[in-house]
Amino acid sequence: MVSEMTSRERVLAMLNGKPVDRVPVVTGSTMVVEYIKKSGGKWPDFHSNPEMMVNVAGMMHTDAGIDSVVVPFGMFVESIALGLDVKMGRVDIQPSVRSFFKKPEEVNYANFLENTYVQTTLEAIKLAKEKYPEAAIAPFLVAPVTLAGDLMGAENLSMLSIKCLQKEKQMAKMEKWLSIALEINKIYAKACIEAGADLLYYSDASASPNLVMPDFYYKVGVPVEKELGDFIHELGCPWVLHICGDTVPIIEGMASTGADCLSVEQAVDMKKATEIVGAVPIAGNLTPLLMVEGTEEQIVNETRKGLNGGAKASMLGCGTPPLSTSDRLKTWVKAAVEWSAENL
Amino acid sequence: MEFDELPEEVRELIEQLDEAAEDEEEEAIEELTEKLLDTGVDMEAITLKKLSLCVMDGEEEMSVGWTKVALKIGIDPFKALLKGLAAGMSLIGDKYEKGEAFVPQLMIASSAMYEGMELLSPYLKANSSGADPSTVVIGTVEGDVHDIGKNLVKTLLSANGFNCVDLGNDVEADRFVEAAKEYQATAVSMSTLMTTTMAEMPKVINMLESSGMRDKIKVMVGGAPLSTDYAAKIGADVSPKDAAGAANWLKTTLSESPSDTENLN
Repeated sequence: MVSEMTSRERVLAMLNGKPVDRVPVVTGSTMVVEYIKKSGGKWPDFHSNPEMMVNVAGMMHTDAGIDSVVVPFGMFVESIALGLDVKMGRVDIQPSVRSFFKKPEEVNYANFLENTYVQTTLEAIKLAKEKYPEAAIAPFLVAPVTLAGDLMGAENLSMLSIKCLQKEKQMAKMEKWLSIALEINKIYAKACIEAGADLLYYSDASASPNLVMPDFYYKVGVPVEKELGDFIHELGCPWVLHICGDTVPIIEGMASTGADCLSVEQAVDMKKATEIVGAVPIAGNLTPLLMVEGTEEQIVNETRKGLNGGAKASMLGCGTPPLSTSDRLKTWVKAAVEWSAENL
Repeated sequence: MEFDELPEEVRELIEQLDEAAEDEEEEAIEELTEKLLDTGVDMEAITLKKLSLCVMDGEEEMSVGWTKVALKIGIDPFKALLKGLAAGMSLIGDKYEKGEAFVPQLMIASSAMYEGMELLSPYLKANSSGADPSTVVIGTVEGDVHDIGKNLVKTLLSANGFNCVDLGNDVEADRFVEAAKEYQATAVSMSTLMTTTMAEMPKVINMLESSGMRDKIKVMVGGAPLSTDYAAKIGADVSPKDAAGAANWLKTTLSESPSDTENLN
């Protein structure tokens, strides 16, 4: 039996494949309305005010008992910092990217780090680290294929993902977009690590078999994710890779990126996934909607199902829904604690 | 029409025409069309088959080239659309439904179909037979900007002869209802990719009910987070598994209530 760990120690041990006192419970994005209200957060200020952001995100740790503190809220920061149109949503709807570039040459990232929203993330990381040194501070970032998709438009990404496998000229186009995305990813990753991130949580939502060809993911997606991952490892930081959809057909590729943990959604058969990847820990994979309207029984069953399937951390299949309730979040954490007491 | 059974000379000409279409060489396309006609082969059957295969494979330039051939040899533009381009979209839709194709394949096929349709559209209007096809009001609900899935549903509905009124993404609930009224829609199709915006769907259904339109309109809801249970709970008629399923469901459902189907092809 491992003696009691802090949340940070627990998460880092899991990422290192070391024994834990109990399985960590971690999340992706955490813009939860109940915590926004309880912490005095105001829309849209909590997207650009680091203190407000940390107060909202921090309640996932202090109130619900989640082991990570995740900032920022949503996958728009990279895009807004590059000058793309972003609709800020509502208190219960995350911001969304509304425009894209026509040509790679239009992307200017020279002043990326100076953008207000990027600065907010970096300040929030520092602040979270000060306020919650015992938690795992995990910035939520957009991974290269998805960022390339934001730059060129998701529809173009999807179509180019098949055309580039057929024609060299199209591949050259794809590589150009990806190389820019990767440069931006590296700049942002380095700054987040310097600000004190304990791990980087990347969503490569658009690398999903729901949007691009699995063949494309293996030939093009894996190498760029690996390049980013190697860069992050050189800076001494672990990273987690999330891809949406049923990722079983690409999970071997995800494991080969060198990510320290893979995050999968509820469409994935956890047992099958853990059997394929072997030593790489997988986090998952409760249906997010359970946090809004699930019964205690449903939450407990899905938590146990993921862990029985071999997950090394309990996590929702996607971001935490804004209308999640604190009692349901607590039920989830309790279910993971109880499973650990019985099984570790 | 099996290409393998055609004389070698014809097959060679078809290949050359494919290349000319791929390279967008107008004169060569015309010349090769003439040559093919001279062989006395059933050019209409060949062209329709090629149109469907080009769309299925997502070959934009080739779809455009063969649509030009269709116009040149005088195929009825409606036939070129339905038995050629749209048939190809259905072929790839069926493959997708069986798990044999992926979304990007649907997207390039859709784009190839629309490229061809664009050439046909001036002739389609002129040739309108007068009977309006059934109308479907379609959109992604408020707060959600994901519209790839919605666009695929729209494409497959269009390929199956429905007239789609596309409200785009981030569509407010009352706009669905207003459009359904304005266009006398047979069905409303709502999409969302996010758990956060699912609650917009029952809102629209309730508004259709309170305005007395619900009984006359089929409601389809779709998107990754939705389940059949959820669809039933909020009072939708169906949550099809995917875009192809949506088109097939609506076609079948309407053909079971004959008054709605007389205008469908």
